[in-house]
Amino acid sequence: MNLPIFHDVSLEALDARQPAFFRFRQLPMAPDKVVLSNLEGRWLVLDKADFQTFARGEVEEGSELFTKLRQRNFLRAYYDVPAAAEMIRARREFVGAGPNLHIMVITLRCNTTCVYCHASRANMDQVQTDMTKEIAEQSVDFILQSTNPAVTIEFQGGEPLVRFDLLQHVVEYAHEKNEVAQKELDFTLVTNLSLMDEKKLDWLIENRVQICTSIDGPQDVHDKQRKLPKASAHGEAIKWMKRIDERYREMGLDETLYHVEALVTTTRPILDRWKELVDLYVDLGCRALFLRPLDPFGWAEKTARLIEYPRAEYIEYYRNAVDYMIELNKQGVEILERYAAIFLTKILSGVDPNFLDIRQPSGAGIGQLAYSYDGTIFTCDEGRMLHESGDDTFAIGHVGTSKYRDVVGHETVRAVVVAGQLEGQADCVNCPYVPYCGIPPVHSHRIQGSLLGRMRESSLCQVHKGIQDYLFEKLATGDEETLQILEKWTTIRPRDHFVHVPAGAE
Amino acid sequence: MTESLDAIPDTFVSVDRAEGAVSFVVDESVYPLDAIYGATFTFLDRCFVFLGRGEPGQVVITLSAKKPPVEDDELRGWIGELANELLACAWRGRILEQNRATIEAVTMQAIGGAMGPPSLDELEDFDFSEEPFDDPLGIAMSWEEKYGKKEKKGESADDSGEENA
Ligand code: SF4
Ligand code: SF4
Repeated sequence: MNLPIFHDVSLEALDARQPAFFRFRQLPMAPDKVVLSNLEGRWLVLDKADFQTFARGEVEEGSELFTKLRQRNFLRAYYDVPAAAEMIRARREFVGAGPNLHIMVITLRCNTTCVYCHASRANMDQVQTDMTKEIAEQSVDFILQSTNPAVTIEFQGGEPLVRFDLLQHVVEYAHEKNEVAQKELDFTLVTNLSLMDEKKLDWLIENRVQICTSIDGPQDVHDKQRKLPKASAHGEAIKWMKRIDERYREMGLDETLYHVEALVTTTRPILDRWKELVDLYVDLGCRALFLRPLDPFGWAEKTARLIEYPRAEYIEYYRNAVDYMIELNKQGVEILERYAAIFLTKILSGVDPNFLDIRQPSGAGIGQLAYSYDGTIFTCDEGRMLHESGDDTFAIGHVGTSKYRDVVGHETVRAVVVAGQLEGQADCVNCPYVPYCGIPPVHSHRIQGSLLGRMRESSLCQVHKGIQDYLFEKLATGDEETLQILEKWTTIRPRDHFVHVPAGAE
Repeated sequence: MTESLDAIPDTFVSVDRAEGAVSFVVDESVYPLDAIYGATFTFLDRCFVFLGRGEPGQVVITLSAKKPPVEDDELRGWIGELANELLACAWRGRILEQNRATIEAVTMQAIGGAMGPPSLDELEDFDFSEEPFDDPLGIAMSWEEKYGKKEKKGESADDSGEENA
């Protein structure tokens, strides 16, 4: 018999039916099904009886189950080490690429008041929380030293449109400096849209700046938690979303790809209104909905009494909303859920879509950096959010004084990289979802006081586990059409229009 | 005064409500010292942490309120979390031992990739004459180097040829 790996071991010594290393989990909502995954992230969902036969090493040679197990590398005697190594490498393709996402807080001022403001925004008269032109330029100089050939500068706040002049300067200065740095550049503006006007929009469109906003649900929910003086925050955001999408269409851009990206922050009032939420996003022409739970940063801690919820309720909301999205897809409506798309890409295609908060190690310091208005550099956006609440753990330098290599090689970055690898985590080592999962250490630090955290008690682990339970349940029990829809959600279409290729490389 | 807390076994735990303090007796054969340090460290922002000796083979951890008094619920929260964190640290320590090679390899690649090679300016600042590491206590020295014992004839090390030449 052919033994592809263990050339010098005979089958007498190695029973062909014995399992190779695997992790497993019984699906809570489909208890007759068991998910198993191996070291490299190949997976199977077996009926309980088949699973028991497999685990006891009693699967009949040549049976259908035996063939399936062998093909997916679950049998010790046939374990294909080079194939497993290649798959592990492919899953970690991003490691070593260097920071791509650079978040610039050009001002902490904002004209809106959101109950959960993770950024802990400043009032409009607090001009001392604006970035100076000098610090903005130093930030760009620093950013362009990244080892990553592609760099995204994301404007965050506060509300970046409060300092539109500075945003313009950063974009222009970055282009100027990029003549030497030769990076692939793109710019993203995260805005509540209430300070948008036609002149600003003309400039943003002309300079190919991608625009993202927040829509937390129907008008009553959105306006109750995102308060804009003398106007409806919801009305303003929707008005400008439609206008911007119209401009993209006028330019001849593919409307299925180019539109304002909107994000929802899930708060308690929306939990049982998932259908209205999905319908709203579909009506707005969005092709993706990211059902993000509330994060434990900024004002969300103080207002938790009003907006927080047990994560089991979140999972129920998630399942209802995604079930409904799948039904809509069956009727020809294109809408995907972003969490599902991230996990499914890893599960079905074996590659990592490089979403910085759900990967191992997480992106902090090695995939992203955040620059506060005063020039302080943080490992990640959440790190600078903690700084606004008085915790400087994730501050790793200053654009005016620190050297690039000292910042990304900082001991905090190293600690975060080690802590972000779940193979070192109790619980995760036995979880079949570990090849696809990721927990940012800043989250564990915030809620449990340690970078490593305790996953069994982590609200984020509960979310990730619940979502992956749901997805594997669908993969095991869904009809053919559902499987095709889930497969389609893994297709990543780059938005090339927003990428500024350096002169000479075009 | 030693008291107990609802739902917490008093075999290990004692409470001093007046001082806002709770103590936990830890068996060193169950929890390694590293786990005790790791777990107690996560409490520094919430309370004062005292470590001391109990009976032989025991460590006593006392968590004391920064501003007493504190409610029983909070004391129960501290001690419950401490117990969970101790277990997490102890087990994590073992897992890290087993997976150290992978974690180190990924960490080196991630940090090395993000840092990139040093620039010429940085190389200029680098002191190549420096010893690889300081060793003021002479820990890395051979016994002979440290105490000046004479080598016997014919026992010189293989790489000592240059000096002899
Ligand atoms: S979440 Fe954004 S829009 Fe809302 S208050 Fe904070 S900075 Fe302003
Ligand atoms: S964080 Fe939770 S869901 Fe993710 S691998 Fe660890 S135990 Fe599993």
